[in-house]
Amino acid sequence: MAPLPLEGIRVADFSWIINGPQIAQWLATMGAEVIKIESQVYIDIGRINPAGMADGKPGPNRNGFYHMLNYGKKAINLNLGTPKGYDLACDLIRKSDLVIECFPRPVSERLNLTYARIKAVKPDIVMISVSLLGKTGTEPSSWVGWGPMACCFAGMFDAQGYPGGPPRQTGGTWPDYAIASAVVFHTLAALRHRKRTGEGQWIDASMGETVISQMNEWFMDYFINHRDRGQWGNRDAMMAPHNTYKCEGEDRWIAIAISNDAEWKALCVVAQHPEWARDARFVDRAARLNHREEIDALLRDWTSSHDHRELAATLQKAGVPAGPVLDSVELHEDHHLWEWGYWMKMDHHEVGERIIPGMPVKMSNVPKLNYSRPPDVGQHNREIFGGLLGLSDAEIQTLMEQKVIY
Amino acid sequence: MSGALDDIRVIEYAEMVSGPICGKMFSDLGAEVIKIEAPGAGDPARQYPPFPKDQPHPEKSGMFLYLNTGKKSLTLDPATPAGGEVFKRLVSRADFLIENHPVGFLERMGFPYPALHTLNPRLIVVSITPFGQTGPYRDWKGSDLIEWAMSLTGYNTPTLIDDGEHENPLRAPGHIADVMGGTNAAAAAMMALFQRELTRDGQWIDAPCWQATVNTSKIEMAAYSYLRIPFSRMRGQTLVGLEPMACRDGYVYTLWAADSHYQALKKLLGNPDGLDTELFDTLAGRQQNDDVLRAVIREELKKHDMKYLVDEGQKLGLTIGPVYKVSQAANHPHLAARNAFVAIEHPVAGRFLFPRQMVSMTATPAIPSRAPMLGEHNKEILDSLAIPREEQHGLHAAGVI
Repeated sequence: MAPLPLEGIRVADFSWIINGPQIAQWLATMGAEVIKIESQVYIDIGRINPAGMADGKPGPNRNGFYHMLNYGKKAINLNLGTPKGYDLACDLIRKSDLVIECFPRPVSERLNLTYARIKAVKPDIVMISVSLLGKTGTEPSSWVGWGPMACCFAGMFDAQGYPGGPPRQTGGTWPDYAIASAVVFHTLAALRHRKRTGEGQWIDASMGETVISQMNEWFMDYFINHRDRGQWGNRDAMMAPHNTYKCEGEDRWIAIAISNDAEWKALCVVAQHPEWARDARFVDRAARLNHREEIDALLRDWTSSHDHRELAATLQKAGVPAGPVLDSVELHEDHHLWEWGYWMKMDHHEVGERIIPGMPVKMSNVPKLNYSRPPDVGQHNREIFGGLLGLSDAEIQTLMEQKVIY
Repeated sequence: MSGALDDIRVIEYAEMVSGPICGKMFSDLGAEVIKIEAPGAGDPARQYPPFPKDQPHPEKSGMFLYLNTGKKSLTLDPATPAGGEVFKRLVSRADFLIENHPVGFLERMGFPYPALHTLNPRLIVVSITPFGQTGPYRDWKGSDLIEWAMSLTGYNTPTLIDDGEHENPLRAPGHIADVMGGTNAAAAAMMALFQRELTRDGQWIDAPCWQATVNTSKIEMAAYSYLRIPFSRMRGQTLVGLEPMACRDGYVYTLWAADSHYQALKKLLGNPDGLDTELFDTLAGRQQNDDVLRAVIREELKKHDMKYLVDEGQKLGLTIGPVYKVSQAANHPHLAARNAFVAIEHPVAGRFLFPRQMVSMTATPAIPSRAPMLGEHNKEILDSLAIPREEQHGLHAAGVI
């Protein structure tokens, strides 16, 4: 079997919670040796979040939040607040190609995990810092926040919502995940640059800037026309109908997005409303865009007595772009996600068999990614401190007692 | 400064957002990206707003200009025999082919993956689709709205709803599902480049936009897979749901789940009488009395300005942020200090600012340059393939280029 893409690359991963771990997971599943440095002083929230504890029983190795973000990695304990702990971290950095951290700037500074410090330890290191708004710039570089706050700063919440209504939140913590693959792309470019020139660098990733690139049409409209584009709801500039419509049951919906006349005519056939296809108000794209509210009202009346999944399948069979809004049960049972290979069953020694998500891409030369089970707390202490850093068992024991390896 | 990818050649046979954002990531780091556009109208993104003064023009779409920085444009119809020959020569010398056509489209055109691999064994083919190359939905038609709405992240937009009959799920501003699919594709493409160093072999990447979006809700997934807590976006039942709240001159967004955050918020609001109770001192207490607590906080926030709440709140360690309009974000000194925007001049569209970077790098930063005009590089590219000028005229006359 072909070697995994990142075989031979070692990562000293100081990150926690979501965005850093998601970056490290891309690297780990693709073959990098990711050593996750954790501490019992500040335990990864993913290990203790109540909403992920298997069957409600607490335990740092039982949390789905942590499992889903940390498979493929090795975990060690290190108390960076102790001088010896920091020295050991530096030893590890000297043997690594990449460093990842995702603390707010004041915390990175307190822990001596700034690029200036790390570069002094290993001059050609490629270092990834992920934060809310980047670690350079003005006052916001020191803010604490999580994914959604990147959206509120970047103007997304102001543009989210029903036209004329108040600003609303977009999804959950999606920017934490969205930034990850963008950082991975730029990190691999940086490693390639280092290979060619010997020069390392700092990747100072801002979730805010990733969000800006996501909603580029809104920024371009401002830069070109000096105006706020505002809330568009589900309106699209080129498509109508283009909305989510009520289906049978509580909070059940179907998304429909029509981009041409053929799809519209096919929808009218499925809906058994041939008169819609002949209606002058809906006859072509320009007409449909002008009468989107009327179409929406007609469609809502029709969809509201249908099952969201059955109707989407029927529409797709007729060539109409449509999709059901799925809840967590339906998503976990979805036969496409299983057949494509997104869901996996993981057998875990503490929590038994669980369904967890795999990576969202497939590569023909990588039939099997590194999906080794998420590490227990300190699982690789002996392997890394002993094997890689050359400490004796007695030294490791002493450092554990001194709460350095802790 | 030369880019980190200045020795890389990319053929982008892709339209609208998901494929072009992937190609842009390569071109902004210095790769040569040849964008194949349909003769005549070109990429449909050229018809997509925003336009200066809302006047549509194929060289002035803000979205197209953003998504296609630094690329070369070749008008070509690879589905014709003569166009197919040019396409073959292009992919024969390329490192990557990025495409976002429906599943099976390249195969029907005469270029199934094995044929491309035979043509150029080192070629990395990057296919971006709504649902992926295999599985029961592989032939489903997608769109950004659909791939977004079918995920828990999409279902959760907007969060905290009161009325499940009328507050329908909303698309996010932009083409987020498409961008995330394209970004995942770019990450996987770089992985393939690294693997090629080890194996000397190209490969085929399957990057679906729906799976990209589904993958952004692991907390919600864990709650179900590990605790059987089903997802809900209804107020009082959400796991990661918050809402912008009005202050005196706008809106702020804050999180007070942790004890330390709640105490900071209480202090920020000047220890108001409404919060002078032990009822809210524990997480459980705050959750049980969410309605009462939220009502008090809502009233108190209205007494203060955004700037005070954010600046002082952050000093107290509170997770709080300003709900800016795009115009406020675009003019924020922090983003200026980070060079988040760059002016780019275009011969037809004019000169204006663009978002500069998805991710900032110190040694090899993204340097976007202007997007190409339709077919602007036809001659240059066909010349580089050693196609004689007469033959080029023939291709042009036949509508192939």
